[in-house]
Amino acid sequence: MRALALAAAGIALALAGCQPTVDVGYVEIKTVPATTNVTQPTLYLDTVKVESIKKGAAVLTQRVGTTKLATDGSGGQLTLCEIVVKKNRITTVMVSVQERPPRCQCRNAGTASRTCVS
Amino acid sequence: MLGRVAHPAAALLAAALLAMPALAQTTSQPDAFTPVEEFSKQLEAFKKTIPDLNKKIEDSAAQVDRWTDVEKARKEIEELRGIVAAALGAVSDNGAVSELGNKALAHARTKLRTLEQDNRFKPEEKQFLVEQWRKLRDETERATEELGSARKEFTELLRTLQANEDFIDELMQVRQAQKALEVIQRLTKDIRDASDQLKKLIGAIKPPGV
Repeated sequence: MRALALAAAGIALALAGCQPTVDVGYVEIKTVPATTNVTQPTLYLDTVKVESIKKGAAVLTQRVGTTKLATDGSGGQLTLCEIVVKKNRITTVMVSVQERPPRCQCRNAGTASRTCVS
Repeated sequence: MLGRVAHPAAALLAAALLAMPALAQTTSQPDAFTPVEEFSKQLEAFKKTIPDLNKKIEDSAAQVDRWTDVEKARKEIEELRGIVAAALGAVSDNGAVSELGNKALAHARTKLRTLEQDNRFKPEEKQFLVEQWRKLRDETERATEELGSARKEFTELLRTLQANEDFIDELMQVRQAQKALEVIQRLTKDIRDASDQLKKLIGAIKPPGV
C-alpha cells in the first residue's frame, strides 16, 4: 500500500512536472545525413549534452531565450550557431555532420548570422 | 490522426499492466517494476489528453471558415499552439514521459540480461520470467516508438500552427500597411487639392492696373 501511495505521489509529481512553470519552447535538431558512417558529433545546448538523437532527430524542451548549439572543439566547446527559442514555438536546426566542424543550417534564419529562429 | 497513435500504446499498456501483477508475485523485488509501471501510467495519463486535443482541433477547424476577424483567428491559433506545445512538451526527448520510457526500457533490458544469468530458479520458472521480461521489453520498445511517432506528429502540427499564425501576423501587417497607404493617399490628395486651390488663388491674383 505504502509503495503504491509513493508511486502515485511520484506520478502526480511527474505529471505536475509536465506543466512547466517557466516559459518554454522547443528545439528540433536534425542531423543530416540521418544515417552515416561518420561518427555523430557530440552536441550541446547551452553546455547540456544532447543525449538522444535517434534516427537523426531530437525534439527538446528548452527555456525561452537564446541558446547556443555547440560541439566539442580542440580548445573546449565550439559554438556552431545560436537558436532563438520562443514560447510554445519550435525552432528547427539541421546539423550537417559530414563537415568538420559540423555546420548549422537554419530552417528559418534570423537577421544575425548563424542564428536560427522559429 | 493523433488518436491512431494512442491506440496501440493503450493496447500494449494494457498488456504490460496485465503482465505485471503476475510478475510481481514471482519475484522478490516488487520495486523493480517501478520504471515500467511509472512509464505505463504516465503514458496512459498522456493518452487521456489526446481526445481533448483532437476535439479542440476539430472545433477550431470547424471555425476556420467563419474566421473573418483576423485578431480573433490569431488568438485562436495561439491558444491551440499552447495546447499542442504542452503535448509536445510531454513527449519531447527530454520530456517526462520520454525519459521515463528510456528508463523503463533500460530497466527491462538490464532485468532480462540479469535473469538470463540467474541460477536461483528452476529452468521452467526462469524460462517463464525471461519470456515475461522479453514481452515487456518488446512492448516498451514499441511504446517508445509510438512516442516517437506522436512527437513527430505534434512537431508537424506545431509547425503548421506556427506558419498559420505567422501568415495571419503578416496579413495583419499587410492590412496595417494598406491602412497607412490609405492615409498617405488621402493626405496626398488633400495636399494636391490645397495646391490646386492655391494655384487658383495665385492665378486669380492680378496686379492692380493689369
